[in-house]
Amino acid sequence: MKRPRAIILRGTATNCDIETASSFKYVGAEPELVHINQLLAGERKVLDYDLMAFPGGFSYGDDISAGKIYAVKMAKLAGDFKAFIKGGRPVIGICNGFQILVKTGLLPANRANAQVSTLYTNDCGHFIAKWARLRVNKKSPCIFTKGLPDEIELPVAHGEGKFIVEDKRELAAITGGDLHALTYADNPNGSMLDIAGICSPAGTCFGLMPHPERNFFAWQHPDRPAAQRGAEAAGYQFFRNAVDYVR
Amino acid sequence: MNDLLLKFNTLSKNQLRRLDRACGWSLNADELAEAQRQFRRMGRAPARGELETIAQTWSEHCKHKTFSGPVTFRDGGKVKKYKNLFKETIVRATKTLNKKWCLSVFTDNAGIVEFGHSGKWGLAFKAETHNHPCAVEPYGGAETGVGGVIRDILGVGLGAKPVLNTDTFCFGRLDSKQKLPKNAHSPERIMRGVVEGVRDYGNRIGIPTAAGGIYFDEGYLLNPLVYVGCAGLIPVDKIHKEVKPGDLIVSIGGRTGRDGIHGATFSSANIDEDVSASAVQIGHAVNEKKALDALMRARDLGLYNAVTDCGAGGFSSAIGELGSETGARVRLEKALLKDTRIEPWEIWVSESQERMILSVPKAKLKRLAAILDAENCEYCVLGDFPGDGRLRVTWEGESVVDLPMAFLHGGVPNFEKEARRRAVRISSKPPAARSLSYGELLRRTLAHPNVCSRHSVITQYDHEVQGGTVGKPLQGRYGDGPGDAAVIWPHAATLDQSDFCGFAVSHGFNPALGRVDPYQMALHSVDEAVRNLLCAGADVSRTAILDNFCAASPRDPRVMGDLVLAAEGCHDAALTYGAPFISGKDSFYNQSRDADGKEYPIPISLLISATAPVADVRRSLTINFKEPGDPVYLAGDSLRGLGGSVYNELSPSGNNAVAALDMKGAVKLYAALSRAMAAGCVRAAHDVSQGGLAVTLAEMAFSGGYGASLDLRAAARERGLTPTELLFGESPARLVLEVAKGREGDFLRLVRGLPVAGLGCVKEEPVLAVRDGGTELFTEDLAGLKASWRKELI
Repeated sequence: MKRPRAIILRGTATNCDIETASSFKYVGAEPELVHINQLLAGERKVLDYDLMAFPGGFSYGDDISAGKIYAVKMAKLAGDFKAFIKGGRPVIGICNGFQILVKTGLLPANRANAQVSTLYTNDCGHFIAKWARLRVNKKSPCIFTKGLPDEIELPVAHGEGKFIVEDKRELAAITGGDLHALTYADNPNGSMLDIAGICSPAGTCFGLMPHPERNFFAWQHPDRPAAQRGAEAAGYQFFRNAVDYVR
Repeated sequence: MNDLLLKFNTLSKNQLRRLDRACGWSLNADELAEAQRQFRRMGRAPARGELETIAQTWSEHCKHKTFSGPVTFRDGGKVKKYKNLFKETIVRATKTLNKKWCLSVFTDNAGIVEFGHSGKWGLAFKAETHNHPCAVEPYGGAETGVGGVIRDILGVGLGAKPVLNTDTFCFGRLDSKQKLPKNAHSPERIMRGVVEGVRDYGNRIGIPTAAGGIYFDEGYLLNPLVYVGCAGLIPVDKIHKEVKPGDLIVSIGGRTGRDGIHGATFSSANIDEDVSASAVQIGHAVNEKKALDALMRARDLGLYNAVTDCGAGGFSSAIGELGSETGARVRLEKALLKDTRIEPWEIWVSESQERMILSVPKAKLKRLAAILDAENCEYCVLGDFPGDGRLRVTWEGESVVDLPMAFLHGGVPNFEKEARRRAVRISSKPPAARSLSYGELLRRTLAHPNVCSRHSVITQYDHEVQGGTVGKPLQGRYGDGPGDAAVIWPHAATLDQSDFCGFAVSHGFNPALGRVDPYQMALHSVDEAVRNLLCAGADVSRTAILDNFCAASPRDPRVMGDLVLAAEGCHDAALTYGAPFISGKDSFYNQSRDADGKEYPIPISLLISATAPVADVRRSLTINFKEPGDPVYLAGDSLRGLGGSVYNELSPSGNNAVAALDMKGAVKLYAALSRAMAAGCVRAAHDVSQGGLAVTLAEMAFSGGYGASLDLRAAARERGLTPTELLFGESPARLVLEVAKGREGDFLRLVRGLPVAGLGCVKEEPVLAVRDGGTELFTEDLAGLKASWRKELI
């Protein structure tokens, strides 16, 4: 079977690009790291790929606010990104990648393609890196979380992860459509409704603060070897699902 | 000042000293006289830039004159003379051991050992300190300390890819009652600034900060210590670098500004009100990440012949080092600047951060430039390496420096230092009757600042970026138990997830022992570092170590005496453990005056950082109890002596003896345990260190959420050892193991004849009950023990 091509977008200080690419490679995709400069120069085109990932990191130092500069750089290519998502090709934004999707207005999806939510400084006021228990919303259309158990563990590592939506209608659209595919069992940052990740109504574009690529293998878990069952852990399923979807 | 410079060759000793102070060079009288002699010989007055270059190149920070110089050590009637203390102790051990898996030692920006089974990779490891800057400006000092040691890894060979950051801090006690001088920061302010600096730099650049420690002691009240380390992976065919005559000098990364003028020389000065904030640099992690990404691509394409980082001394040191054979021609007007209001000599010595110097063949410049542009990494071509052995630095055609390289690198005068053994009265009387129950003592020990949880600091660092931190600083059932060593699976550098080779990194540090016996302190520190590696399941027969000494003024013969004894300890421990030193660094003059003019020298402080391979990261070990019914064993002899212990601080016993480490016994024990681990007999392991055996047992229990019912009766112990010493003594070479139920037979066969004693079993019920034969010592519930331990430090 043809290996789906995955574009792993990077820029200055996109730090989690390699492990995200490796995760896609492990589940049978053919990942390519592409710098936003290459897209802007026309050397690569997003529509040439089957899957898209925005990895974690501190793109452009998270100056102004997390993911903002990267989102602004994407503005010139907004048409391509919208077409990619509209065509139902899977997109995942992890941590800084989620922040970018939110700052571009691609998530939560809305008619005006405007930014309707934000990921704000954690309630504790600083960066936190710890393992979080997450609840999986079984009713969600999200294609990435299919087949996961009711509760999983993934590490979070962010300073700005507090998900806020000001407009009640927008929030109702999220909860009404079960777009909040992942919620925290013990909210680490003060997110509204404990939201850890949301998807588009079609379920193909998904952003989340926790890092599935860091709990991809059982031995990446802090409780070893007692909790070790098989080689693959909860995070693996996110990537497997994306590749299965496009095949 | 210009007048004095013009008349430099005729100045008196006093005038030279005044000039030195005014310029902030920190050169001593002999060095000033040597410089004067050289310029008299040349028959001309020096330029400011030339004296600046000399001050940088000859600084303690760059040349390590004290440790590499001649020393006369007096111990009672005995006298021992060293020509080069460093070479005759630390380096000698490495030479004697002559391990073929050591690929590069002491010559480059970091040491390199073989990594993995493929023969394709080397592991570069380096640690250094950034003490003085952190005392003046904790946040900026820590940031640039992290940035600096990462650049050492980028600048080793043709560049290694960083995969782990480590940090170890020493601060004054947070509850200190001492009156601070008006220019000093409180320990809390320093700690917060340092932690935030490490966090903001390490997290932004995408390198996990996953190993280290925090140590509180009044000795660090005015002189905090900030040790920063970095490990990286390098292809073995990229270890050798050589500048070719005709190569261009290319600076990449950050721009040059007025920040960090005289950082190298300031590190040897007393911290007082005269120190200018411009001596501390300003960090910018994102610029360094650009340089990192571009450099790794350029390295793999072979676009340069050599690289080094701009650290202390800035361009003057980096270009001076790279061009030490070929000479260098530098046009300072080509440098990209942060601020145009800068003197040419300031450009030359500025320590602005995030700059790397590359030696680039002319024909490859265009391809290199394309990569740098693609990553938005700024660069400038500063000149070339001509091959005539002369250093010529100009600004718009005007000479700034014109000297032979040989003068700079060969000219540094060496001076004999006096050293003698410090007089310490040692008492080994047994501890007096205790006023507290053992349970209460345990809870207080767990709450002690040097024992309690570091989670509030660790969770501010992204310790899992790159997805390879298999051995975590926080581990166990609740993800909050204190790990002994970081275990790294560097697949983000090797790009190979089917190879499970990794490496472990740990530390050994205990300055409280050094106050009593610096020789034993060095032995104990090496032992602790090795033992921590063993607890993670690493192959300790392949341990490589780093030494980082921090000390007060070397003008004090007692300080030099401490150094000599600790260095001899390093030598002996390295030989017996078969663990070569591969890199090291030292920092002196960590001494300041308080508000009343009283001197505050730090205690002799030796950080041992250690690394060893882990054959399969999936089988590495953690500290927490894992299954009720598993038997628990104590390995190692418990010895008398409470010197330097946490117990002594909580309940002064008058006993300050430090147990003598039986190194040969320890090596034999660890080899056997290593075999037992490889055979899969061991489920958990944790070392006995600060706080003693009681703390080790408590941590293993509450990290796993399982209790244990234990009897210490069978524990191997020195005759006359009291239960207090058994529970809270910190004698070395001991660890506690949880053995898999049903594997006791195999385990005991492998450790036959060694001091390994069964204590009892892990229990479902969350209670830790410990007795010594007929005497019940304590019975404590885990929730209470954990509550005492889980302090919010920050």
